[in-house]
Amino acid sequence: MTAVTDRPRRVTGGRLLLYGFLISLLLVFALPLLWALSSSFKSRSDIFSYPPQPLPAPAVLDNYRTLLAEQPFWSWFVTSTVVALLSTVLAVGLCSLAGFAFAKYRFRGKTILFNIMFSSLAVPFAVIVVPLFIMIAKARLTEPYFALVVPWIAPAFGIFMMRQFAEQAVPDALLDAARMDGCTEFGLFRRVVLPLLRPALGALGVWSFLNSYNSLIWPLIVISEPGDYTLPLGIQALFGATGRQYDLVLAGSVLAAVPSLLVFFLLRRQLLEGLAAGAVKS
Amino acid sequence: MTNPMRTNSTRTNPTSRRRHDSESRGAELEKPAGWWSRHQVRLAPYVFVSPFFLLYGLFFVVPILVGLYLSGTEWAGLGTPEWVGLRNYQDLLGDRGFWIAVGNTAVYVLFTMCVVVPAALLIAQALNARGLRGRDMFRLAYFMPVVISPIVITLVFGLFFEREFGIVNGLLRAVFGFGGIDWLGDPLWAKVSVTVLVLWRWTGYLTIFFLAGLQNVPKELYEAAAIDGAGPVRRFIDVTLPALRPVTAFIAVTVLVNTAQIFDEPFLLTQGGPGESTLSVAMFIYRAGFQRQELGYAAAAGVLLFAVVFTLGLLANRVFGVGRDVR
Repeated sequence: MTAVTDRPRRVTGGRLLLYGFLISLLLVFALPLLWALSSSFKSRSDIFSYPPQPLPAPAVLDNYRTLLAEQPFWSWFVTSTVVALLSTVLAVGLCSLAGFAFAKYRFRGKTILFNIMFSSLAVPFAVIVVPLFIMIAKARLTEPYFALVVPWIAPAFGIFMMRQFAEQAVPDALLDAARMDGCTEFGLFRRVVLPLLRPALGALGVWSFLNSYNSLIWPLIVISEPGDYTLPLGIQALFGATGRQYDLVLAGSVLAAVPSLLVFFLLRRQLLEGLAAGAVKS
Repeated sequence: MTNPMRTNSTRTNPTSRRRHDSESRGAELEKPAGWWSRHQVRLAPYVFVSPFFLLYGLFFVVPILVGLYLSGTEWAGLGTPEWVGLRNYQDLLGDRGFWIAVGNTAVYVLFTMCVVVPAALLIAQALNARGLRGRDMFRLAYFMPVVISPIVITLVFGLFFEREFGIVNGLLRAVFGFGGIDWLGDPLWAKVSVTVLVLWRWTGYLTIFFLAGLQNVPKELYEAAAIDGAGPVRRFIDVTLPALRPVTAFIAVTVLVNTAQIFDEPFLLTQGGPGESTLSVAMFIYRAGFQRQELGYAAAAGVLLFAVVFTLGLLANRVFGVGRDVR
């Protein structure tokens, strides 16, 4: 997969050291996750057996069965997934629209507006969380599809990323040509710009899906009805419940990780390259 | 292909599949040459950025103003807030817990800047080795911690650091013959555990940025340096580091601003404990606002955090020179 021009190299001490370093790191990064996967198939007592067994013996499905039978797992799952998908679609749309405007139009106040947008990146979440919660609670908007989605659908980071990308990827000549053909400005965005932004849309999409799907603090604050729980809240509740139900928590964690891993693996290249492009070009 | 210049550029663009759609749209467009179509090119950018600024106003500016107001009041969430002026700020400055939280947060920030960022650079440097096989696989695996929900991660780490059955103590016992460390229950070790978690969770993420930066360094620069007789260390200092400046600036500012707001790791792993030994400022605000119902007090701490993070961000921007090219 690496560059074709690379000549085959002799095995040297340096190479061995390099691969040893990279592979041991790989283990360090992967081990906790593999351990969780393996333990989710262990019986409750085996999870804590000493010395720890690397593989469950015997492997049991009880944890999963109990979790699905006794806990509203599917309801958490659906809430989380729908909230994440909604946020993603809206965020991708709004960020690319604004990013396109900042990249390709000259307009009065652009610099000021851009700086206002950019400086909001330095506003700590903890600063707005108390007043924001009060506002949402007073307005009785704590329903998850509103409270977990709407405040977060125009992240400044996303706009910044789309602007960086649009600047390079959208040729001005193409925009002018489409305008000559009588394309409206929004039509221009939808039919010319969006397709050109596709790689960046993927990156922003994964980023925003993962952000929403994995978010914990805000849902923890704003959602009080157990019926409205998202996955992290549900797992947190199992964890905090009497006796810390590690067996169920592990099974839930493994199941919860499936959508985020799936999304990540499907669009990994775009995500990694999109993130990197934002940093390198800044 | 006699005259490529005549090829209409809209036809070469990937959307030409939707010609039908565009024709019907075009027809509908031609009838009213009204006010909007005359001004749309000038007004479109404002329309395009307005959703952001609308949401920004509602969910950022208004909460900040409300927070500023609340920070001057005493309020438990019921009844009307009672105006107390600057008393919350005075109380904060005299609150030992607040200063402990500030100190802990400073430790987390220093740790990420001095350990996590250099570690990421080192790993990126290793990943950038010529002719490395499996680069993408390594890169992917190192990024994985970011993909997984923090609750899952901290659960696993909580079990690893468990005093009696945890794998960490188990390994220490097997290798060194001792392993009675109370990772989560001892004030000092709890802080170490939280920083280990931060290291594990974010190093691979930062590596991605450094690697991208490294791959953008022109190879000729290295070749020129090698011809001049520069060894690996000299090449790193004279070629790599200057070339990485923009990426490093981006990473430094992001890391600084984000770590100053650290919440997930101490909240999930140690709940800020034991005592207040791992409490961060963001957790302090959460605790005051949502566990102790001291909303005015929490808001005041929020305003202070905002002031500090904003100043840090500006300073870092100055020092590292991010965003100077934004016109």
